[in-house]
Amino acid sequence: MLPSVALRKLTLLLVLLAVAGSAALAVGEQPPAQETLRLRLGGPSSSPPPLADAHLQNFTQVLHLIEQHYVEPKSAKEVIHGAIQGAVSTLDPHSSFMTPEEFRELQIETKGKFSGIGIEITMKDRILTVVSPIEGTPAFRAGLRAGDQIVKIDGKPTRNLSLTEAVKMIRGPKGSKVTLTINRPGFPAPKDFILVRDIIPIRSVKARVVEGGLGYIRVANFQDQTDLDVRGYLTKMQQKFSPLKGLILDLRNDPGGLLEQAVQVADEFLSSGLIVYTQGRTPQQNMRFYARPGQPGEDRSLPMVVLINEGSASASEIVAGALKDQKRAVVAGAKSFGKGSVQTIIPLEDGSALRLTTALYYTPSGRTIQDKGIEPDILLKEPEPTDAKALQALRDEAMERHMRGEGITDKPWNQPLTTADLEQDPVLKRAVEILRNWPPKLVAQQPAS
Amino acid sequence: MKSAGLASFCRRRLALLALVAGLCLTLPAVGPPSVPAMSGSDSYEALRLASEAFHEIGQKYVQPTDEGELMQGALRGMMNALDPDSSYLTPEEYREFQRGGRSAPAEAGLELIYKDHLLTAVSVLDHGPAARAGLKPGDLILKINGQLVRNLTTQEGMRRFQGPPGTVIRVQVVRNGLPKPLDLSITLEPLPPPRLSVHLLPGDYAYVRLPYFQDDTPAALAGLLRDLKRQHPALKGLILDLRNNARGSLEQAVRTASLLVGDREVVSTRGRRGTESQVYRGKSQDVVFKTLPPTMVLVDQGTARGAEILSGALQDHGLATLLGDKTFGLCGITRAFPLKDGAAVIMTVAAAYTPKGKKITGNGLTPEVEGKKPAPGEPAPAPPSVDQDPWVIQALEYLKRGAAPAKRS
Repeated sequence: MLPSVALRKLTLLLVLLAVAGSAALAVGEQPPAQETLRLRLGGPSSSPPPLADAHLQNFTQVLHLIEQHYVEPKSAKEVIHGAIQGAVSTLDPHSSFMTPEEFRELQIETKGKFSGIGIEITMKDRILTVVSPIEGTPAFRAGLRAGDQIVKIDGKPTRNLSLTEAVKMIRGPKGSKVTLTINRPGFPAPKDFILVRDIIPIRSVKARVVEGGLGYIRVANFQDQTDLDVRGYLTKMQQKFSPLKGLILDLRNDPGGLLEQAVQVADEFLSSGLIVYTQGRTPQQNMRFYARPGQPGEDRSLPMVVLINEGSASASEIVAGALKDQKRAVVAGAKSFGKGSVQTIIPLEDGSALRLTTALYYTPSGRTIQDKGIEPDILLKEPEPTDAKALQALRDEAMERHMRGEGITDKPWNQPLTTADLEQDPVLKRAVEILRNWPPKLVAQQPAS
Repeated sequence: MKSAGLASFCRRRLALLALVAGLCLTLPAVGPPSVPAMSGSDSYEALRLASEAFHEIGQKYVQPTDEGELMQGALRGMMNALDPDSSYLTPEEYREFQRGGRSAPAEAGLELIYKDHLLTAVSVLDHGPAARAGLKPGDLILKINGQLVRNLTTQEGMRRFQGPPGTVIRVQVVRNGLPKPLDLSITLEPLPPPRLSVHLLPGDYAYVRLPYFQDDTPAALAGLLRDLKRQHPALKGLILDLRNNARGSLEQAVRTASLLVGDREVVSTRGRRGTESQVYRGKSQDVVFKTLPPTMVLVDQGTARGAEILSGALQDHGLATLLGDKTFGLCGITRAFPLKDGAAVIMTVAAAYTPKGKKITGNGLTPEVEGKKPAPGEPAPAPPSVDQDPWVIQALEYLKRGAAPAKRS
């Protein structure tokens, strides 16, 4: 995209989502954990100029004081990492510092696969808990289940472990063993599961078909190859139905991911025109992304509904915003999260990295998403649980279904969704009805202010 | 008491001040050394790295940045990377620190630390404003007056909970076992002297609660123990409750320990190169019990600083058995170092060691008897009365079995 700067795609994984989502403790403050990332490769463009004298003096003085007087020896690097961390935290909440270890972890995760056992984990009431085993992985084969409590990893109690530490302990080279001690209702005592680690692929796209020639594509996050997976399902659906009569693109609770992937996914459905543009402080950060012709989803005679909710952020909002502004799709659901900033990963000399907010992005009509989100064309409410207990019950129920392989996306894509499936998800059911009664009557749009 | 109010209040403020920094002792500040040539390639590379990072931020951040603000953030982050007692103070914060916080006559009654980017209540002082507002030890403070807690220091975190009496501070806290954050309002008040309390337990056992230390606490405890001894000469055992007690200086701890250990060593301190080395002993004339009845000391994660010193001394001299949870490990000796621009850093320069040489700073003390815990996932029950408190019951059983030693003190 930019002549002088090499761009590389970066993605976080579902597993990491769980990490950031629950461990950060910034309850309700952070977006659902994922951000639009671009990676700039290579060292600093020029050798950095010295800091202003007074600042440098203060800085070296403190460094020296620590060296001389601190109760125990500290490596200068560790102290400087603290300093960079502190500097970055005066910026916005999406900017952060990654130690070399954290940055390596991120790079491993971005490859769309990693070596582990294949579970998504979270902290539930401060207890390390399995959210779900990923199908076809060692964890799945060993019979780990959603809701299992992991009390020990290789004999070490998990009580005081952070989620990140736990993830680190569970991962390891392919072929190596890890023992999880699992507590489960019905077990008289915690039981050991010995698992052999393997390469775990992570797919961000799942699909199903609906009776009457409709397709349903669910994007969990925007990572490497998300666009190809979307296109793959779309092509298969078009072959199966010829013609495909309508498509639902489900971006609910999709926290985002790669900016480029958002552009590519939107491009799947658009033949021309602006998708998104970014504005930063430097001309380098000002970019405009346009759709190109030639993808299978471009035909405007294919009716399309995009589902969003308050958990749809960043890359999801780019896709929903572009398809809405270009009137390619009807956006339905609830107002999206509203994270309209782009982070760039800037590697530093010693292997650590900055994740820095470098630009804001805008939908084709010039709207910023920051704090505003995308308003749906059709408001569809998810059934509202009456209290926290009911919400928990709903989640448990969903988890139970998932455990039995009865979740909506737990079956092969070409197996049609049943009425019972749709009853599970009233918003999806409404989306199907919208497609069956196409075109929908839209409430008059508010004039742009 | 009334007439002594102001004087003791001023003393309390001073004591508090030393603790605001999480100090056991604040030594006089030393003058700034001249800016040295950086020694070693390690430091040089580290500086290069910092320079590179600040350059990238300055060039690429979505908005223009203020270099001064970035540098303050950096110094804060640098000190926070050391330990929770080490802090950077802006020139304004340092002036406040030197003034002794007289402009902040009231407080929330909290001991907080900023660690791993979280502001945590180590202890919530019994009967204090925060305790009455419903705060609990271990609570993580997410927001103060609606503002997200970010890039703070322990010092600054404590300062946010001081101010004129009657000031209302809204906090949002996350608590273990609660699905949602809690919103609480704390009204600042001058902190009263700690309420020492005694409960007699069936079979000639006594329970003594020491919630936090102030300068007159050793004398008050001496009086209380003497009364107890006189009224109950056949006392079979003592339970000293130091849970949720994170406020107490080294000096206060030494004077308190003196009542029980006499002239033996209470604690020693040692810096990196043998600097700041000092041994602190009690005084034989202070001792209350010639033979201390078998004693259990209750400790937990909220036991820190002075209370750790006291616990460590009793444990090492075989005068008491500790029961409960590992203590916090917050008892370093800190010192203020002024910087050229009027700012300062407060830094841990020495660690505290028990008489047998166990390092308390950063490690905490491990009790001999682990306190019984509710099953995982089960919320902790509401604070029970003394005789229904599970750890008191456990300590009492332990004493009745004769498992705790009786030693001459």
